[in-house]
This record gives sequence, structure tokens and C-alpha cells, in this order.
Amino acid sequence: MLSIEPGAEGTAVIGRFDAAQCATVQTYLDKLDGIVTLDCSRLEYISSAGLGVLLKTQKRLMAAGGKLRLTGVNRHLRDIFVYSGFDQIFEIE
Amino acid sequence: MNLEPILALAGKLAAPHDLATMLAEVMDAAIQVLGAERASVWLYEAESDELVLRVASDIAPVRLAAGVGIVGTCARTRQVINVPDCYADARFDPSVDRKSGYRTRCLLALPLIDHQGALVGVMQVLNKKHAVFDAGDEALGGVLAAQCAIALQRTLMMQQVIEGEKLRREMETARALQMSTLPAVMPQVPGYDLYGTFQPADLTGGDTFDLAMTEQGLLVVLGDATGHGIGPALSVTQMHAMLRMALRLGADLERAYRNLNDQLAERLPADHYITAFIGLLDPATHVLRFHSGGQAPILRYRAAPSRWEEHKPTLFPLAAMPLARLPPATTLVLEPGDVLALISDGIFECENARGEQFGAERVRRLIAERHDAPMAELAAGLLGAVQAFAEGAVQADDMTLVLVKREQAGARREFRRGVESLAQIFAFTAETVQEPALRRTVDLVLEELFTNIVKYGRASDTKVSIDLRCAGQGVRVTLTDPDAEYFDPQSAPQPDVRAPLERRQPGRLGLHLVRELVDALEYRYSREERAGRITFTVGKRDAVD
Repeated sequence: MLSIEPGAEGTAVIGRFDAAQCATVQTYLDKLDGIVTLDCSRLEYISSAGLGVLLKTQKRLMAAGGKLRLTGVNRHLRDIFVYSGFDQIFEIE
Repeated sequence: MNLEPILALAGKLAAPHDLATMLAEVMDAAIQVLGAERASVWLYEAESDELVLRVASDIAPVRLAAGVGIVGTCARTRQVINVPDCYADARFDPSVDRKSGYRTRCLLALPLIDHQGALVGVMQVLNKKHAVFDAGDEALGGVLAAQCAIALQRTLMMQQVIEGEKLRREMETARALQMSTLPAVMPQVPGYDLYGTFQPADLTGGDTFDLAMTEQGLLVVLGDATGHGIGPALSVTQMHAMLRMALRLGADLERAYRNLNDQLAERLPADHYITAFIGLLDPATHVLRFHSGGQAPILRYRAAPSRWEEHKPTLFPLAAMPLARLPPATTLVLEPGDVLALISDGIFECENARGEQFGAERVRRLIAERHDAPMAELAAGLLGAVQAFAEGAVQADDMTLVLVKREQAGARREFRRGVESLAQIFAFTAETVQEPALRRTVDLVLEELFTNIVKYGRASDTKVSIDLRCAGQGVRVTLTDPDAEYFDPQSAPQPDVRAPLERRQPGRLGLHLVRELVDALEYRYSREERAGRITFTVGKRDAVD
């Protein structure tokens, strides 16, 4: 399961971001503008479907001068981001 | 010419008589029509080139070589022979008269030739009343003989059909008995995947198998009786029943085997014997003890690491002779993933039209390739391969196989096509895979492959099955899509993960991640079943954490 919690450090994405969660996250992210920070410290899991949502959002935000920042990325997520080349197109902390 | 008796005869001869009645009718007709005292019909036997006279059902028939004597000459020349004075003819054998006390004056020998020109026999008509046979009798006899030949031929053919039918029915009964002893369902033994199958040849063969839980353990049997026809089918049926009975009475492997052998040696004809593997497996300790009377090869496929082991028979075939002494049984301990394969020679020796045999190598290769599949599937694959190899050649012998696989720890479950199944899939992996990093990798690969099937596969109500097995330090996962188009995930194009953001597309990333994360991946597709299967392994060392 996945939940989204807005907070001072950014929007926390908590749990497992799999193909069944894409629509929910996409709808949420579509409402945000500017520089958006996603707190991934409690994100346990992400699949290519989740990566697709992040990619689409990054494209939209950057076209308008904004961007998506990913913070609290653990080693597991970092590996997935590296395999996908996302370390090249996202700001990852 | 008096046609009336001939026409009356034609009606009688058309009736469906058995051979004895038909012969009597024919002889009676000859006596009537030709005004003779006696008549006899000699039937021609092509295999021996002899003429056979059936005197009575309880007396051995009289045989005469074609070409010998008057009847034999008639058979050879296919011409009517009219002998007005027998004792003046050198071909005549007076010894028959001497024995019977009857005096043969004159005779007419008529060849019986059916409408296809085949010699059916010779009709011999003796002693025209108050005269000798004349040219008119020869002509009339010719007409009569033609009628009789056709009627006799028809009766002989009928008899063959009836005898064939009788034999066929006996075979069928023996077959039905043989089949009825086979286990209708495979025993369910936790930790084991068991499968036995028997594919009978059309006419001959005497295979049997058994897989059954008994007080003494799991009984594993493969038997093959020698010979052809009904005998072997009945022999193995007996063996099957006696063995089950011995075990039910509490016999251990040794006593059961010994009793079985000695009883069968006593009961079966001297030239009959049965090659048989008889084993008892303790599913708790995985110890298999067996005796094999001439049944070979006894194959064990070992999964980790992949290799073959072959065991020899412990004894000469069952029923060959009483056992003076029983050598110790062979003992094997089945390890996780091991497959014990007992296969009858009908499979190894299956020949195609070019006279090549299916052989042991093909069997081994198939099992090694597909040992991860359920045993029922492996058996179907093996029999399918044999059938394809035979290229339509008639199955000459029974084909039987018994597969005993000790499962790796793990489980198998089915899921509906749809992303909503992902939660259930993850719950399933959580039950089997304890280590979190390993589980996350398994989940990710599974999700990518499963959603790929959901998105691009056929819209189907069938469920996709997932089989999870612990394998060494890692996990082996098999996804089976029972209603699939061919799609090898390994052949999917690679995405360019170095491209700048503008050119990045979300597609293809999933299978790219799969390739990054698995140790090994294998794709199989069966065109006949329209089934696709992906097997991948993920090792602990490669799990991301």
C-alpha cells in the first residue's frame, strides 16, 4: 500500500509504489507546480510503473521551469534509479 | 439338367451357417444334385499348401499335400477329375477303403474356386448311384462347385472375423483389467510432486506402474512383462494386485519382493518374466529403498548441481526363478529438487520410420531441461517429444513413466490478470521469501513480468500461475501464462537510459530492470498449448539492499 503525506520537508511518499498505485500518485502530482520535493525516506519499493509517473511529472515541471527533487533515497531505491538512468535526470539526495 | 435342386441349394447356401453346418449342406447338396452315395469337402490351407478334411470335431483332421493323390492333383491343376474306375487309377489310395470298409467305385473331384479365383478346396463325390459320372455330371458339378466355393469362402471369412473379434474382446478385457489397477489419481504427498502415466500400445505390451501411500511408505512401481498378447497384460495385473496385497498384510520391502517373485515364478509360464522396479519411499526422511528385478535404467536427476545418477538393477527379473537369497536393497536419499525417473523401454526404444530409436540421451536432455516444471507437464512434454519423434509410426510397445520429484521448499498459486492482483502476489512472496532485500527483488521482477502479461498479453479469463521455489541461496520463480502469444522478454529492445530527459520514454524500463536484476531468465513457449513460461532465478548475493 502507498500513502502520500504533505509535510514541511516535502511530500512524503510512503510504502510501495507499484503499478496499482500509479493513478493515485499521478493525480496528486499533477496538481503540484514549481520545485517539488518528494521525501522518499519511507518509500520501500518502486517499479517501472512508478518510475514512469516520476518521469512524466519531471517533464511537465521542467517545461514550466520547475523540477522534481527526490530526497531520503535509500540504497535500494538508488540502485533502481541508477539502473534506469534516473540519476542523470533527477536531483537525488 | 434338373435345375430345381441347384436353385434350392442356392437358397440354403446363402444362409449364415457356421463352418460345420455349411460343409454338411454342401456335401448334402452334392449327393442330391449328382445322385451320388457320398461326398466330402477338403479345405485348402494356403500356409501349409495342404488339403484338410475335417472328419469330426473330436478327431484330428486328415491332411493331404496339394499335388498328391486325386484330390491333391485336382487342387494343383484346378481341373475336374472324373475317375470311372478308381482301382484302375494309380493316383487312387485304396488304404482309406480298407480302413472304412467302404468300396469306392468311381469318383468326381471338383475344384472349389471362389469368384476371385482363389482355391477354397476340393469337393470329392463318390459312387454315382447305378452308374459312373458322365460329362453332364461334370458340368452340373462345376456349377455346384462354384456355388459351394463362394458359400464356403464367405463362411470361412465370417469365422475369421468372429475369431478375431473374440481375440480382440479378450485383449480388450485384459487391457481393461491392466488399466483398472493403475492409480486413478496421484497420491498427494507433501513435499513431493508425483506423476505416473501409462500409454498402451494398440495390441501388445505389459507395462504397469503404481504410486500409492501405504503403511510402509510411498510405493513406487514400474513393471514390464515380457511377451505379446493377453499374457503380459494379465501377468502385470497379477503382480500389481499381489504386491498391494503383500503390503496391506504388513510385509516389508524384502518380504513383499521375495513373495512376489516366488509366487509369480510358480504361476507364470516358464518363458514369462517381468522386469520391475519396486521401491518404498519414506516422505519424512526422504529415504527410498528399492529392488529392481532387471528394470533399468533407474535414473535420478540431481538439481543442485545439475547432474545425472544411474542405478543398476539389484536382481534378475521377477518370476524368472525362485529367489534363494535377496541381496540388500539399494538406498537413496532424495534431496530437494531431485527427480527419480522410471521409464519403460517402450519410450527409449520408440522407433521412427528411419529405424532410429528415441534413446536415453533425448530422455535425459528433456528431463534436465524441464525438471522445474510440474511432473505432469514434464511427462506430457516427454510423451509429446516421443510422438513427434515417431512421425506417425505405430506405437509398438506400451510407454510408461513414473516421476518422483522432491520439491524445493516453496509454493505455487494462481492470479487473475490485472494490476489489482499485485497485492496478492506480494503477499504470496512474503509467505515464501523471508529475506527482505531478496523479496523486494523478486517482487520487482515479478511485477514487471506480470504487468507486462496484463498489458500486452491476450485478454483471457485464465489465471497466471506463479511458482516460487527456494533454490540454494536464492529463489527460482516460474510464471506460467496458459493463454499467451509468443513473447520472449529477453528479445525486447533496450531503452536508452543515457538519453537526456526530453528523449526519455517510460516504456521498456520494466524489462530493462528485469534484465538488470535476475541471475538467469529462461523463456519457453508451447505452440500446441499456447502457453508461455518464464523462469527466473534471483540469488541472495545479487539482491539489492
